[in-house]
Amino acid sequence: MSKIETNASRRKFLKQVAAGATTATAASIIPSRAFSANKQLTVGMNIPMTGDLAPWGLPGYYGCEIIARNINAAGGVTIGGETYDINIATYDHGYETDKAVQGMKKLVLEDDAKMVMMLGGATVAAVLPWATRRKVLTTTLLPSDITPDSNYLVATCESHPLYNVTGVEWLARNYPDAKTAVIVTNNDVEYGLQSTATYQAAFEVAGIEVVDTNLHGFDVTDFAPIVSSVLDKDPDIFCMATSFYVTPIMEQLYHQGFDGKIISCTLDFYHEIIAKTSVDFVNGTIFQFPDFDDPALADVNFPDPGGFDAAFRADHPNDWSAVAWEYPVILLNWIENAQAAGSVESEAVTAQMTGSEQNFVFGGGSWWGSQLWGLDNVLVGKWPVVVVEDGRARIQEYGDLAAWLDANNDVLIKHMKALGLRTV
Amino acid sequence: MRIRTVFFLSLLYAALIVLPHFLKYHQQDFLIFLTINILVVVSYRLVTLTGEWSLIHAVMMGVGAYTSALISKNFDISFWITLPLAGVMAGLVALLLSYPLFRMTQFYFLIGSFAAGEAIRLTWIQFIKPFGGTGGTSAIPSPELMNIDFLEPIPYFYLVLIVVSICVYLLYRIENSRIGLTLHAVHWKGVLAESVGVNTWNYRTLAFVIGSLFVGIAGALKVHYIGTVAPKQFDIGFMVFILIWVIVGGYRTFYGAIIGAVVLSILDEILRGVEQLRPAIYGATLIFFILYLPGGLESLPQKIRQKFRANRESAT
Amino acid sequence: MELLIQTVVNGLIQSGFYALAAIGLVLVFGVMRVVNFAHGELVMIGAYTIWFVHAQNGVPYLITVVLAILLVTAIGLLMERFLFRPMTGDPLGGLICSIGMLFILQVIATYVGGEGPSKQVPPPFEGTLIILDSVRIPYQRVFSIAVAICALGILWYFLTRTKFGWAVRAVSMDREAAALQGISTIRVSMIAIGVGAAMAGLAGALMAPLTNINPHMGHNVIIAAFIVTIVGGVGSLPGAVIASVLYALFHTFVTTYFSGTIATISGLVIMVLVLIVRPTGIMGHRVSE
Repeated sequence: MSKIETNASRRKFLKQVAAGATTATAASIIPSRAFSANKQLTVGMNIPMTGDLAPWGLPGYYGCEIIARNINAAGGVTIGGETYDINIATYDHGYETDKAVQGMKKLVLEDDAKMVMMLGGATVAAVLPWATRRKVLTTTLLPSDITPDSNYLVATCESHPLYNVTGVEWLARNYPDAKTAVIVTNNDVEYGLQSTATYQAAFEVAGIEVVDTNLHGFDVTDFAPIVSSVLDKDPDIFCMATSFYVTPIMEQLYHQGFDGKIISCTLDFYHEIIAKTSVDFVNGTIFQFPDFDDPALADVNFPDPGGFDAAFRADHPNDWSAVAWEYPVILLNWIENAQAAGSVESEAVTAQMTGSEQNFVFGGGSWWGSQLWGLDNVLVGKWPVVVVEDGRARIQEYGDLAAWLDANNDVLIKHMKALGLRTV
Repeated sequence: MRIRTVFFLSLLYAALIVLPHFLKYHQQDFLIFLTINILVVVSYRLVTLTGEWSLIHAVMMGVGAYTSALISKNFDISFWITLPLAGVMAGLVALLLSYPLFRMTQFYFLIGSFAAGEAIRLTWIQFIKPFGGTGGTSAIPSPELMNIDFLEPIPYFYLVLIVVSICVYLLYRIENSRIGLTLHAVHWKGVLAESVGVNTWNYRTLAFVIGSLFVGIAGALKVHYIGTVAPKQFDIGFMVFILIWVIVGGYRTFYGAIIGAVVLSILDEILRGVEQLRPAIYGATLIFFILYLPGGLESLPQKIRQKFRANRESAT
Repeated sequence: MELLIQTVVNGLIQSGFYALAAIGLVLVFGVMRVVNFAHGELVMIGAYTIWFVHAQNGVPYLITVVLAILLVTAIGLLMERFLFRPMTGDPLGGLICSIGMLFILQVIATYVGGEGPSKQVPPPFEGTLIILDSVRIPYQRVFSIAVAICALGILWYFLTRTKFGWAVRAVSMDREAAALQGISTIRVSMIAIGVGAAMAGLAGALMAPLTNINPHMGHNVIIAAFIVTIVGGVGSLPGAVIASVLYALFHTFVTTYFSGTIATISGLVIMVLVLIVRPTGIMGHRVSE
């Protein structure tokens, strides 16, 4: 299918989902499924819904439920001549690898899930041998999960942590006096180390010197010593490379009087950080995840971002996190590709997906990854640089991730190798 | 062996061979894990025979699991060699730890074994090379034998059934040998045993090493099936499950622990819908048994019989 | 130099929490010979009380601190009455009961707080105390350490200057002899666990605005409390306080200059070494078995 045709059908589909949103709100008292004669199309989510990483699983499920509700209210979705209602099946693996394997088997073999969305990291590595053999289309938010033979694993929304380079680029352009940086994060491979290598590469390209890197364990209860230790290097920039502990670290930065620039991969629940510190302190913090009530999102490939944001916050006022819109983006992208392929089966949809041009949610969109992980299964495109202004997350610009990667691939590989990360 | 035992065992094995064919996928997995857990509790029972309750058994399982996983993955060595190696390594680590740990008794031993276990577990987290950190290591190769596909649950279940049966049989023989009887003596009559020339230290160490050896094998069996090994699989939470199985089943006879593991695992499977409540139900069960049925499930028939007899006597 | 002073300050503040958390463990062990594995969860309940009552429902912080102490003390007394008392003379049974309790308390916390991210409590005391131009201590921490010192002072007075305290010490030295002297061991047990739980509740209440609150936060607390208890000498209160200061400084220094995980591993190894070389700890006396 040519790109123009995809675009046209895409718009139609997005509009249909957005229209469903209004119907859904009106009819939300009655579950639409009860009256529907449509077949059920099950999509699986094998994610952490309890435990430490629940914030990066559960909100995504809430988001997908909203999307599914809207689609079903609008009469379902037609794929290959058959009209389906979307059904989201979940398995909570609590970010334990053995449970993730169990979850995968259950979703595919017992719930008949046609595609399984996952958070990524150790849990994806754990399910990969089985899922690849069974040809289960699996999605991850961490492209570093991709291996040379993971043919059915794709990263179609988040390309963690590659997009972090866009924040550093923006920072270097707008604050040319900032010349030294420190990096603090947890010492796990898939989040902390991957992200650290990316930030190190981005800082090197931007001409900023990294004067200290502190990788700590998960048993830290008090961040005072860690923050004291890195602030002793007197950095201009404090960087949290996908830290799980942004709130307590920000609090220590506040109390220990740090007045440089703060850049972080995520700033989930930043209202709580403001409550623990001050608006003035958090203002100016740079990160990578927009709120969906941001007017700058008007032109993205997502049905009615503002309405989605409102619906989400109405149901779950305190649960919005970076993944709240990411799993929905993956779900919508999959549905479009299934429609284009005229089939819901893994092989057909995967072939359609990786064999055609895709519209990335923030624009652009090219398949990438073989340089680092041996397979072009990562969809990279424009990525927003977000800064806190008056206590609200606001998009500053859309950085060109693909261009950065083309130009500086070797620097990134150098830093990944230095941290002992897997590259081809 | 008595005829009745032979009959009972052949019936049991016939049922176990047929059973997986009637189960759903996740139930087949469940059966594999349950069988492995039987080896875990039976090996733990050997350690507790001397009266010392260690909190390191789960970590010893991890030692075996990591050994087998890392050797087979990194050096491309067959599962059939790494499986016994897992046991040997767990036994060796236990031998090393026995020097400091058996200088302690009772609570000191309990806390000491907990601390040593946590230190080992944190080492897996801290040293990403070779252990893989918090996320552990994945893509652990599955066993290879002729053309059998051990990624499928039914062949793997038969493999587990054979290995676990052999191990449990060996443990049963050990408990009923002279060594086993001496271990009982060390527990109940420690001072007396010493006075007739039994070196209690040696026997406690022996029990600890043998128990760890077998649980190491159980660890290897588990991770070669799920294909992934991580520190969280062997944390204090899992150790507590082992304790609960043994206590609820009853630790006075060989069968008690097995009954506990089977009954509670089935309960666990039933409770899958109320994931959040599960730990509390476990906790309450544990407290109930320790307070009201300290002999465990195995003592239940006897208790009921006593009650009946008492009722009959009061009636007459 | 600045970093050195800041690290000492950080370590001293941390020692206050360790001491408060460990005291309860030491008291209960000394008097009842029970290792209370759920002690970390008592601290967690204290912290959750602050989050739920103060941060969520707007009750003033200081009132909530008192509420947290009362609630946790009540839980401690219930545990004594229904778990530890029936298990008198069976230390393993007591320990296993406390493990059961640990799970129940964690599930209660999950139900009250829901799943999701760790809870955060905005600090009731804002601002930062700056000494010598460079050493910075948030007022919240200044408050915490001051309260911790006061609480420990009151406890010390209670144990050394009152009749109850005398009875507590007598029972922890020799239970049978104390009973023969006419001391009610049940009442002393209740006092010990009541005071210990109160301290745990206070520790949780003071930590709440400074840490991530989640149902599993007790795990790190209990590890630290174990190390402090063993190193200080099982059953010795002054030992526990001294060991808290030493261990907090050690942990903070290793965390600052190396890594937090290595700090915890070395702490555990030191604890095992102490158990081998000097099971009575730095200040302990032989405990009668």
